[in-house]
Amino acid sequence: MSKIKIYLQPTPIRIWHWLNAFGIITLCITGVQIRFPDHLHLFASYKSAILLHNVAGLVVAFSFSLWFIYYAVVSRTLLKTYMPSRDDLEHGLARQAKFYLLTYFLGWKNPHHATPDNKFNPMQKSAYLAIMFILVPLVSLSGLLLTNVSPMRDLVLMIGGLKILVAIHFLLACCLCAFLFTHVYLATLGKTPLEHIKPMWTGWEEEDSTEQPHHVTGSSRLPSVAAMPRTGMTTRRRP
Amino acid sequence: MKTEIVHKIMILGLQISLYTLIPLLAVATENSACLECHGDAAAVGESLVIEALSFDNTAHGELGCHICHASISDGHPDDGLTPSRTSCVECHDPISQEYAASLHAGKASCSDCHTPHRALGPTAVSGHDMNRQCLTCHDHADMLDKHGEWLPQADLHVSMLPCITCHSSSDQYVISLYIIKRHGNMLSGGYELASFDELSVQSNGRPIEQLVDRNADGYVSLAELRMFNLDPENKQLRLQGMITPEGVSHNFRTQDDRWDCSFCHASGPAARQVSFLSLAEPDGSYKRVPVEKGAVLDALYGTPDFYMVGSTRSTALNYVGLVILAGGLVMPIGHGTLRILTRKNRTKEEE
Ligand code: HEC
Ligand code: HEC
Ligand code: HEC
Ligand code: HEC
Ligand code: HEC
Ligand code: HEC
Ligand code: HEM
Repeated sequence: MSKIKIYLQPTPIRIWHWLNAFGIITLCITGVQIRFPDHLHLFASYKSAILLHNVAGLVVAFSFSLWFIYYAVVSRTLLKTYMPSRDDLEHGLARQAKFYLLTYFLGWKNPHHATPDNKFNPMQKSAYLAIMFILVPLVSLSGLLLTNVSPMRDLVLMIGGLKILVAIHFLLACCLCAFLFTHVYLATLGKTPLEHIKPMWTGWEEEDSTEQPHHVTGSSRLPSVAAMPRTGMTTRRRP
Repeated sequence: MKTEIVHKIMILGLQISLYTLIPLLAVATENSACLECHGDAAAVGESLVIEALSFDNTAHGELGCHICHASISDGHPDDGLTPSRTSCVECHDPISQEYAASLHAGKASCSDCHTPHRALGPTAVSGHDMNRQCLTCHDHADMLDKHGEWLPQADLHVSMLPCITCHSSSDQYVISLYIIKRHGNMLSGGYELASFDELSVQSNGRPIEQLVDRNADGYVSLAELRMFNLDPENKQLRLQGMITPEGVSHNFRTQDDRWDCSFCHASGPAARQVSFLSLAEPDGSYKRVPVEKGAVLDALYGTPDFYMVGSTRSTALNYVGLVILAGGLVMPIGHGTLRILTRKNRTKEEE
């Protein structure tokens, strides 16, 4: 079977993604030491854990702006990529959930097929939307305040005080970490565990040329999401 | 230490009583005789004024003027003699020796940091006032720079900790909560330690501790802290926490373990559990009301604006966080198990 390649993940997005991934993993680990210094001593001293946490936070904030500038200014596809459509919300979510929770185990194919124009299935869109538009910005902002308590005291007080701010930062960080577990797991759900991860690293997705050739053309219109289950079904019947 | 002091005083008192034979109860009237002139700037000039209000309630106030100015004669002030001054070492031998052996000994004398007429123990002095003693010689901006070279958020640390918490040793450190008041608007903040008069106005004539200790039982419960924090009447007030020493050694230097942040930033030592509400008195000293154990650890209400990373974390929040993380493991573990169990279904399809 011959293979063809699709360029799925542009370079800036790949750079952002891995800076972000390693940044957030570092933040999670140092964060645990910072909150529970009497239980974890991974890094030589408390101070080094804090410095590393602060640096990783800046790396994540910096890479976040790379992500934002790329999608919002360079490719201008921010909303198209991440905003679930009406149909996604009404049917797509349920369809995708059914796949993950049931039909996947029966061996059916994923009802969504990633193309450069329509990279994410409805559940990915909603999750990434929440992560990238709410969680990451809020964690970064609260972190920024926490590293500048004295100069920004008044802002901290408006939020309700240092302790409230810390609670927000901690709980959101837990959410991010929980997302990370789920996200990494789902990323291994391809035909082979690395099938989805490779394109995030190289940019290119390999697929069998016999599969839905119409996807490769990268049509300029918004891909009709309604078409997805049908393509999914054809794939499944193919063999 | 106290018994030694008392011993010295007895000997001194014996000597003094040879001259005066003033019964101890008369100390107060004796003080007021001196203060008739020395309490009045017009009589003796600004530099010789002793604040009666702040002197009388101190340990030295109970000793009386004569005990330190023993040589004073009936002819004073017209006798042209300079009254003697008993030096601190006579009564504070251990501390004086400790200080004399310290690196700081040549840099400042007892009276550079203390006023003998206003001698208060560390629990009766606010953290802010303790730092004022140091900042007369150690320039504030200079200290921010020097400590900023190695201390993250030095500005926060230097304003939220008495210098002596890091530069002297103590058997125990506690959290002292001070009421501070906003003098500026929302944005310009301008919080300052609330004075006795300001708090009196706020409490409408009730004793000021009842601003927080509502049932006046001499004990601040978590519920009372919550009421204080949520009461709209107190919008301009908030609680500020500092870690203060219960006793102060006088070997002023950089304590070795203060380099290690987890001296303070770790839970465990009982110190982080013990806190006091510290309130201004009319004479400028501070009195303390004990606060419920562990109240500053409460997630939301105890002290919304006092948090020490690593040591005042809330256990309740830890559990919420754990539940969230467990939620993140549902897919990898639950789905992953089913995935392994049903792997045949998928390999069949691939064939
Ligand atoms: C009648 C007013 C008056 C009374 C009462 C009085 N003093 Fe004085 N005292 C003065 C004046 C005036 C001076 C300044 C004398 C000088 O500069 O020569 C002085 C100076 C002193 C000084 C020395 C200050 C320095 O320059 O170092 C001491 C100590 C002192 N008084 C203690 C006392 C004590 C203790 C008492 C009570 C037993 C007392 N005085 C009662 C008026 C008074
Ligand atoms: C614990 C000892 C002690 C007691 C009690 C004490 N003094 Fe003094 N007093 C001193 C010392 C020490 C000095 C010198 C301070 C300095 O060098 O700055 C002093 C200085 C003074 C001075 C000079 C002005 C100044 O402040 O330096 C006056 C006046 C004075 N005392 C009056 C009094 C009076 C009046 C009383 C009682 C109300 C009193 N003292 C009680 C120890 C004492
Ligand atoms: C005549 C004896 C005597 C002299 C001289 C004396 N003190 Fe005291 N001082 C006492 C006594 C007694 C106490 C109360 C003891 C205690 O509570 O530990 C005390 C308490 C204090 C306290 C408050 C301690 C506390 O915990 O309440 C300070 C600070 C102090 N003295 C500083 C000084 C300084 C500084 C000098 C020298 C200028 C000095 N004293 C000279 C007898 C003296
Ligand atoms: C009367 C002036 C004066 C006062 C008040 C004073 N200091 Fe100092 N201190 C000095 C001088 C002078 C030095 C030596 C120069 C330097 O290191 O800045 C010094 C040095 C130090 C050092 C460095 C010691 C070392 O390891 O070499 C420390 C720590 C210190 N002071 C702490 C304090 C603290 C804490 C206070 C307040 C409780 C205080 N000082 C109050 C004058 C003062
Ligand atoms: C968090 C603990 C902490 C606090 C609070 C703190 N210090 Fe220090 N300070 C240190 C340590 C640790 C050093 C040693 C740093 C070094 O040698 O570079 C130090 C060094 C110093 C030195 C010597 C600086 C030099 O290298 O010349 C002085 C003076 C000093 N502190 C004074 C103060 C004063 C005054 C305050 C209060 C305004 C204060 N410190 C508050 C921990 C602290
Ligand atoms: C560098 C500043 C400094 C010097 C110098 C200094 N002290 Fe202190 N001392 C303090 C501070 C700060 C405290 C704690 C706050 C307070 O009680 O005022 C304190 C507390 C005390 C206490 C109460 C201690 C306790 O644990 O209850 C006594 C007593 C005392 N000092 C005596 C002395 C004597 C005597 C000398 C001179 C040998 C002296 N101090 C020199 C800064 C100093
Ligand atoms: C080791 C950790 C990680 C791995 C292995 C990983 C893997 C992947 C893969 C394979 C994709 C491709 C799209 C997909 O299949 O969903 C992807 C996309 C994405 N990942 Fe991750 N990821 C990791 C960490 C993170 C972290 C920490 C975050 C954010 C907090 C994150 C946020 C995202 C987002 C928002 C996308 C969509 C990117 C796009 O616009 O194309 N990832 N990730």
